[in-house]
Amino acid sequence: MNLKEQFNSMEMDDILLMCIHQEQQAIELYTLAKNQAKNENSRQKFQELIEMETVHKVALQNFEIEHYIDLPPADLKVTDYLMEPVLSGNMTTQEIIILAAKREDKTAKMYQDLADHFATEKELNTFFQMMADEELRHKHNLETEYENEFLQEG
Amino acid sequence: MIREQPISFNTVPMKERLTIQRQSMPEQDPNIRNGNFLEVNLGLTPAQAVLEAQRCIECKKPTCMDGCPVNIKIPDFIQLICNQDFIGAAQKIKEDNSLPAICGRVCPQESQCEEVCVMGRRFEPVAIGRLERFVADYAMNNSNGAADSFQKPEPSSQKVAIVGSGPAGLAVASDLAKEGHAVTIFEALHEFGGVLVYGIPEFRLPKAILRKEVATLEAVGVKFVKNFIVGRTMTIQELMHEEGFDAVFLGLGAGLPRFMNIPGENLNGVYSANEFLTRSNLMRGYDFPEWDTPLYRAKHAIIVGGGNTAMDAVRTAKRLGAEEASIVYRRSEEEMPARNEEIHHAKEEGVKFMNLVNPIEFIGDDQGSVVAARCLRMELGEPDESGRRRPVPMQDSEFIMDVDMVVIAVGNGSNPLISQTTPEIETNKWGNIVADEDGRTSMEGVFAGGDIVSGGATVILAMGAGRKAAIAMNQYLKAKVGSFA
Ligand SMILES: Cc1cc2nc3c(=O)[nH]c(=O)nc-3n(C[C@H](O)[C@H](O)[C@H](O)COP(=O)(O)OP(=O)(O)OC[C@H]3O[C@@H](n4cnc5c(N)ncnc54)[C@H](O)[C@@H]3O)c2cc1C
Repeated sequence: MNLKEQFNSMEMDDILLMCIHQEQQAIELYTLAKNQAKNENSRQKFQELIEMETVHKVALQNFEIEHYIDLPPADLKVTDYLMEPVLSGNMTTQEIIILAAKREDKTAKMYQDLADHFATEKELNTFFQMMADEELRHKHNLETEYENEFLQEG
Repeated sequence: MIREQPISFNTVPMKERLTIQRQSMPEQDPNIRNGNFLEVNLGLTPAQAVLEAQRCIECKKPTCMDGCPVNIKIPDFIQLICNQDFIGAAQKIKEDNSLPAICGRVCPQESQCEEVCVMGRRFEPVAIGRLERFVADYAMNNSNGAADSFQKPEPSSQKVAIVGSGPAGLAVASDLAKEGHAVTIFEALHEFGGVLVYGIPEFRLPKAILRKEVATLEAVGVKFVKNFIVGRTMTIQELMHEEGFDAVFLGLGAGLPRFMNIPGENLNGVYSANEFLTRSNLMRGYDFPEWDTPLYRAKHAIIVGGGNTAMDAVRTAKRLGAEEASIVYRRSEEEMPARNEEIHHAKEEGVKFMNLVNPIEFIGDDQGSVVAARCLRMELGEPDESGRRRPVPMQDSEFIMDVDMVVIAVGNGSNPLISQTTPEIETNKWGNIVADEDGRTSMEGVFAGGDIVSGGATVILAMGAGRKAAIAMNQYLKAKVGSFA
């Protein structure tokens, strides 16, 4: 059963719990990586990611809509074709950004599916659409950072 | 501060100056040079240099100087050329730039001094780079060292270690030797010059020039130690506390190649530009079988990237005998960071340009050798903060092309060795050393400059950073002696 089909058999509370669980998992992964990280810069980068995911988790818990009003920027797809690095303590900043952008992309897709699933329920549709947009915005920021630093082709 | 206008030696009336054509530099024929590694540009003749210098309209506010990252006194040296005092002109440049024969060849003048030359508003700018190169070469070949001579200072009894012999390190060495300090350069590789020897190919920058620069420094007492990796052979702490160096300069460059992180990058036949160019330049791969460094002669070599490194790699591949050598670049030619001259020369030499194309996978045969590249076509979207339009993949645009050699030239990062072995030295999240305007790092007595601080930049910026650091280091050393006294 894929995610879209799963939604049909789930209560709203379960869906929210699933999303919160997803964000929590990301927080735990990044915390693990941060604790194992061999240098201060990677620790900082993981900390930024933990804070970002925590904001998402809180938004889900409070079902906050008003935070997110801007449309998402264009999907640059910079990291879409890159290999997914394995989460570890000695990742380079380049690998950390790829991993995080790919996670944001996957999570954006999940929220987009949920928004589509609730197409006729305005409030839910808006909420999940905004969560999807928010994830895409983060993906965009990460990919911009990636492009600025790793794709200058100088 | 009002700048004093240099004495004018230009005898050509102002109106006539505007009618003199910009002097083009003689070059090797493209179809001959793409089969050899000799220098492409042959340099202006003395008569051409004087004529070119006479094009200068002697602006009251010389914008060219502001365009130069180290503010070379361009109007002054141009007037000396008008007076046919070529060695004097070289000395004038050397007041601000210790490596003019190199910068005259590799600086992006078109986006620096020449871009803002007032002549360029209506006509072509004065060929400042070509003039710089001319006088530097002239002085090297005719002055018997006079252009580099300086009064030997009293020895200071203080020892300075310079790590890395790229333009940043060489600039520091030159300035601190002039102050009487005992300078030693430690270099990881077996030749001195950093990217100038292992990166930029012979056909753009003959290595003999660099050897002369090194010899000049040796003549004034700078010691050169090769095959010495600071952080492995000896740490910075050991250099300072056991070997008695009073100050250290880190000019480590950005020599760690970056990869794209796409599948197939570990196949045989896929190189980083760093490895490829080092094999060719430093290990004389182009002299195979005279030198024992085999380099594959490809049917179709693709070079991924659009900077100077990519141009150097693709022109090297062509010269090594690739039947077809192509640049594969995600953006369009307009956004290419490579110098215009390199792009122009590459095209003349038969290099193909596949712009707005991005490889997403390299495909191998059952021997593990690369045989094809899966690519996407791109289109330009919204501009980024720097104004460059961002490339985004076009839908359903995937295609596969046959390739048997790939060189990845998407950029370099910094080597983590020093930050791992000397945690006292603060680095940023990209691994670059954090230093202030004058090159001071977070560790007392340790200074840094060039690409290791700025990330990949240019020769003149690295040299300029080295000169700034040298001033601060000299002050530091003097204060240290003062405090002992
Ligand atoms: C292929 C290529 C082409 C380029 N073309 C141009 C151009 O046309 N124009 C231009 O202006 N710029 C060009 N650049 C950029 C320019 O070369 C660099 O910005 C410049 O060389 C940086 O100088 P640097 O002294 O900081 O470092 P580098 O030139 O990189 O030198 C650093 C040196 O430090 C040594 N080193 C590193 N770590 C250690 C250690 N632990 N112990 C001892 N030694 C160590 C290295 O081996 C190296 O020799 C090009 C770069 C490349 C790669």
